[in-house]
Amino acid sequence: MNVTQGRIYINPALILFGATLLGAFSQPTFGQNPKLDIKNVELIAKKASEVVDVNLDGALLKLAAKFMTAEDDREGLEIVKNLKGIYVKNFEFDKPGEYSQADVEAIRGQLQKPSWSRIVSAQSKHEGETTEIYLMTAPDGGAVLGMAIINAEPKELTVVNIVGPIDIDKLSALEGKMGIPHLSKDAKESTKKSEGHHEKQK
Amino acid sequence: MNSFEDKLRNALRREAAPEGFAEKVLARTRGLSQPGAKAWGQFGAFLAMPVLRWAAAAVAVCLLVVAGLVYHQRQERLRREGEMARAQVMQALRIASVKLNVARKKVQEINRETPPSRL
Repeated sequence: MNVTQGRIYINPALILFGATLLGAFSQPTFGQNPKLDIKNVELIAKKASEVVDVNLDGALLKLAAKFMTAEDDREGLEIVKNLKGIYVKNFEFDKPGEYSQADVEAIRGQLQKPSWSRIVSAQSKHEGETTEIYLMTAPDGGAVLGMAIINAEPKELTVVNIVGPIDIDKLSALEGKMGIPHLSKDAKESTKKSEGHHEKQK
Repeated sequence: MNSFEDKLRNALRREAAPEGFAEKVLARTRGLSQPGAKAWGQFGAFLAMPVLRWAAAAVAVCLLVVAGLVYHQRQERLRREGEMARAQVMQALRIASVKLNVARKKVQEINRETPPSRL
């Protein structure tokens, strides 16, 4: 009696093909990942005078969340509790021109449609500053899957990549809390100052 | 002569075995026939030594102390890692929030500076 008669032979190449297809379609929005590859900017760190490098994956975020028990941490905890990763690169330089536009373009190139959409792009030609905010949403346009912020200044480059359902309003509302400067107040003060300056000029 | 014979007879007279004698003898012979049981008995006797009892207790206490230290060190390491992760989360949120609000403010400023088109 031949025991192997009843077996079904499956071609290993077919299994590999199936696994590849499954892998490709299991990622959000067919291939594009809310986690950016920002390793290229790590090379800039050598030229920077100050570097902030935060790499928090899901496990570390969960661990951090366990220690965010203080009252001041409550709002931060609300934001991070469902996130899958936070990656921040912030470089400060002593002089302008220490990083190239190609470095920024390498990140910008990953933030392509249809998965990513640029929701804010603010450029200040006078200050040579560019800030862009990108969002990755689910194919149905509902849930936010990730966020990216690129802030390029002559002497500073910041890349923020948040993976998971981030609430932008909650993140923005942290202003004035947790040691975050109150930009509205600063802006108002600077506006008042500039208005006063304009009035004086008049 | 008669008294001597009487004493001898009295000494050698048949006497009934005490109660349970046969069981005791059988138990002894059973014990002798099993060398493992004898070894266990000897081991038991060895363990029953007071010095060994104290030594065993000391080893147990040492093991408990070591286990406690290892557990404490592990908890301490976990706490340090957790605190570090928390600090990193805070720093990341700070930077993200600031940059987000900077962009928002810029957009607001641009909107303020650009007069609405009159159609």
